[in-house]
Amino acid sequence: MELVQIQRRLVDYTKSLFMEGFLDAQFLQLQQLQDDSNPDFVFEVVSLFFEDFEKLLNELTIALDQPNVDFKKLDSHVHQLKGSSSSIGAQRVKNACIAFRNYCDVQNIEGCLTCLQQVKQECYLVKNKFETLFRLEQQIMASGGSVPTIELGF
Amino acid sequence: MHGNIWVVQNPQGSAQSMALVIRFQLRPSVSITINELGESSDQPCSNSLFKGLQVLLADDDDLNRAVTRKLLEKLGCSVSAVTSGFECLTSIGPASSPFQIVILELQMPELDGFEVAMRIRKFRSRNWPLIVAMTASADDDTWERCSQIGINGVIRKPVLLQGIAIELRKVLMQANKV
Repeated sequence: MELVQIQRRLVDYTKSLFMEGFLDAQFLQLQQLQDDSNPDFVFEVVSLFFEDFEKLLNELTIALDQPNVDFKKLDSHVHQLKGSSSSIGAQRVKNACIAFRNYCDVQNIEGCLTCLQQVKQECYLVKNKFETLFRLEQQIMASGGSVPTIELGF
Repeated sequence: MHGNIWVVQNPQGSAQSMALVIRFQLRPSVSITINELGESSDQPCSNSLFKGLQVLLADDDDLNRAVTRKLLEKLGCSVSAVTSGFECLTSIGPASSPFQIVILELQMPELDGFEVAMRIRKFRSRNWPLIVAMTASADDDTWERCSQIGINGVIRKPVLLQGIAIELRKVLMQANKV
């Protein structure tokens, strides 16, 4: 595939992620921070997020498995996940966390369990999306091109 | 637009031809970011106000710390980062610490941002270094509490370049007036 075609594909794909609510403006912010001194910044930060996520997922699963669920502890884990997902612009994960916290507030175990599944699903979904994004970027760079910056009008 | 317009007249006095020159400046491609107020504006470039500003950043979350650090460096600040309230106090400890601004996450385990700020204000001068709090929950109560402790500004998370730049600028301007 020609370089220009891959570049167009990347732009279209990224825009679709915004349209579908997977990503929000915060992700644009991250991209703006990437520069020659830190060419892999976005990749590093996103990777950090998924590392954290695996640990948090573990904590959440264990916490909900207890005979007496510690909702405060549960909430603090979800709060952390909400914070980091929001920092990378993973909007749907963030929203799932907000719903999760609401159920923690009212100490509804069933609700929490459902939300846990929801959060898990959204994370794996967006992980897939990121992988595609990064793969397209790599293809562009391997062809000697530069990654186009996204400009969005709101 | 620093342009020019002139008319060449023919012998009868009416216009024979007109020329219009408009000078456009080539600008770098601008990305639109949404700031907290919902307005879109240009990305603030490294401002002389922030160039070389010595900042101490305290945040226990690796991801958030990495992003905030990068944002500050993008503005031109010189950043030192610590991962806890205790480390923060240790870094400021000596009477003449190099930091002009301390940026502090409020929700940290063991020693939170409020505590750190209170101790800084208690054992150092009333106005130095400048303290800016970061929090995901910036409601009126938080602001009130920060104000009483002597925190100079509050940044709402998730942090945007625009948000940090505006708040830091405000805090620095106010400090200069005192």
